[in-house]
Amino acid sequence: MNKYLQVFKISFQQEFAYRLNFIMWRVRNVLQIFVVFFLWDTVFSFREGELFGYDRDRILTYVFGLIFIKAFVLSARAQDVAGEIARGDIINYLLKPVSYFKYWLTRDISSKALNLIFAVFEFGILYLILKPPFYFQTNPFQILLSVVAICIAIYTFYLILFIVNVIPFWAPEMGWGGHFLVTVILVEFLSGSLFPLDILPANLQNILSFTPFPYLIFFPLQVYLGKITGLLLLKGIVVSLVWIVILWFFMKWVWNKGFKAYQAYGR
Amino acid sequence: MNKNTKEVVEKTIIVEHLTKNFEITEKKAGLLGSLQSLFTPSKKTVRALKSITFSIAQGELVGFIGPNGAGKTTTLKILSGLLYPTAGFTQVLGYDPWVRHPEFLKQIALVMGQKNQLWWDLPAIDTFELNSAIYEIPSKKYKETLDELTTILEVKKILNTQVRRLSLGQRMRLELVAALLHQPKVLFLDEPTIGLDVVGQQKVRDFIFEYNKKYSATIMLTSHNMDDLIDLAKRVIVIDKGQILFDGYLKELVAQFAKEKIIKVYLSKEADVKRFDDIGRVKRFSYPQAIIAVPREASAVAAAELLQNFPVADLTIEEEPVEDIIRRVFKGEVVKKNK
Repeated sequence: MNKYLQVFKISFQQEFAYRLNFIMWRVRNVLQIFVVFFLWDTVFSFREGELFGYDRDRILTYVFGLIFIKAFVLSARAQDVAGEIARGDIINYLLKPVSYFKYWLTRDISSKALNLIFAVFEFGILYLILKPPFYFQTNPFQILLSVVAICIAIYTFYLILFIVNVIPFWAPEMGWGGHFLVTVILVEFLSGSLFPLDILPANLQNILSFTPFPYLIFFPLQVYLGKITGLLLLKGIVVSLVWIVILWFFMKWVWNKGFKAYQAYGR
Repeated sequence: MNKNTKEVVEKTIIVEHLTKNFEITEKKAGLLGSLQSLFTPSKKTVRALKSITFSIAQGELVGFIGPNGAGKTTTLKILSGLLYPTAGFTQVLGYDPWVRHPEFLKQIALVMGQKNQLWWDLPAIDTFELNSAIYEIPSKKYKETLDELTTILEVKKILNTQVRRLSLGQRMRLELVAALLHQPKVLFLDEPTIGLDVVGQQKVRDFIFEYNKKYSATIMLTSHNMDDLIDLAKRVIVIDKGQILFDGYLKELVAQFAKEKIIKVYLSKEADVKRFDDIGRVKRFSYPQAIIAVPREASAVAAAELLQNFPVADLTIEEEPVEDIIRRVFKGEVVKKNK
C-alpha cells in the first residue's frame, strides 16, 4: 500500500522536526536505564540468591527488557487522536480516501521504528560501558515467540488506545481523562511494567491472565526469559489473539457509533 | 447507489428535505455550574437545518450566504460526508455522501478558511506528496497538476519552506493546492478568503473563477466577503436559521430585496441640509454632493420634491448597491421582509 508507505515517510520526517526535543528525549531514556541498572545492581550486591524467584541476571534482564519493551509497546502516537477529534483536525482525513484507523497505526509503527533504531544503538553502547550480566535466551523458538508476542502487544495496545481516544466524539473535553485512566492506571499497573506480575497471589494472576493487560509487557518478557513455556505459552498466545479479535470488533462498533454522533466541532 | 441514479445524476448535488439536529449539553457559568452540569447535564436540541431542498447542476458556481449560525457550514459538512443527516435525502455525484465511498471522496474537496491540512512543521511539498499517494494520483498527472496550480497561485518559491514560517496568505494558497491536487469535480469552499489581504483575496478569487471554468467544476461557496459573491456567484442560496429564504440569481435577489433607491444630488449652492430629512434617509452629505436613500416606490416623488425645493445642479437615481443588500441578508433583515 503506497498510501501508508507515504504516511510512514512523512511521520518519520515529522519526528525529526523538533531536533532538540528529540535529543532530550533520547538522553532521558539513557539516564533512566542508568538509574534502574545501578538500583538493582546495588540491591543484589547486598544479598545472594533470588528475590521473588529472580536471580541477579534475570532481574537485570527483566528491568532492562522492561524499559525496552515499554519504549516499544507503550510509546504510541495514537494518543493524539483524541486531540485531533476535539480540535476538529480529524476532518482532514475523513474527507480523504484513507482509513483513519490504518493511518494512525502506520504513524504508530513509524514512531516505533524510529524508537527501535535508536534504542538498539543506545543499548549497544550502554552494554559496552556497563557490561551487565545479561540472561540471553538461546532457544530460537522462545525468541521467535517473544517477537510474535511483542507484535501482538503492539497491536493490542494500539486498539485499546484507539478505542479510548475516540471518546471525544461524544465528549470533546473527556479525551485526556480516558487516556489517563487506561494508560496510566490500567496499563501501567496491570501489564507488569511497575513490577513483575508473578509476585502477585496466584489466583489474582490467574484472573489477570484472562484480561488483555499482561500480554502488553509481562507476557512477552517472560517468554523471552524462558519463564513461560509449553502449554502456558500456547494459552497466552491464544488468549491474546482472542482479545485482538474482541477489541477489533469493539473498536469498529465504537468508531461507527461515535462518528455518527460526531458533530464536527470547530466550525 | 440509488436506483434512480440515471435520472438524477445530471444534477451534481441534490438535497431534499434535509434536516439536521444537534444535541448540545448546556453548561452554566462558573465552577459550580460546571459541577452541576457534570451530574445533571441539561441537554438541548438545536435544529441546525429545517428541511431544506435545493439542487445544483454540473459546472455551477453557487454562493451560499446567510448570517453566522445559519447552517451553511453544517450543510457543506453533510454534503462532504462528515456529518450524519438527521433526516432527508442527499446525493452528490450520484453517491450518498455519508457512505464516504472512496470513489466519491476522490472527486470532492472541502476547503475551510480556518482549518488547515498542511503539516505545520514540514514544507508544503511533503503534504502534497502524501495527498498524491492518498488520492492515488498517477505521478505524471500529479506533476502536471502541481506545476499548473503552483504557477497560477504563485507559490512555486515557497514549496520547500516549513509551513509554520509562511504568512497566512501564502498558507491559504498552498491549502488550495493541497485540496485541489486530485482535481475534484465538486468543490465546497467555506470562507476561502477569510483573513487575507485585498491582493490575496483577489488571487484566490481569480483562481476559483478559473478553476470553475477550466474543469467545469461544481462549486459551492460560502463567504462573508461581498466581493467574493459579486465576482463569482451568479446564483445564490440565502439561508437563515436553517431555512432557505431565497434561491435564484443574484440579480433577482437584488431586485427582490432592494427596498430603496439611491438619489445622488449635486447642489449649485449651499442649502439647509436638515430639510433633506423630510425627503429620505441621508446617507452621506459633503457639499456639494448629498446621497439620500428613499423608499423605492417614492423615488419619483422624492426627486420631484428635491428639484422643486433645492438648488439642484444635477440629480441621479440609482439602484441600491449589491453590497448593501447582501449586508442586510447577513444581518438577517431579509427574513422579516419575506414574512
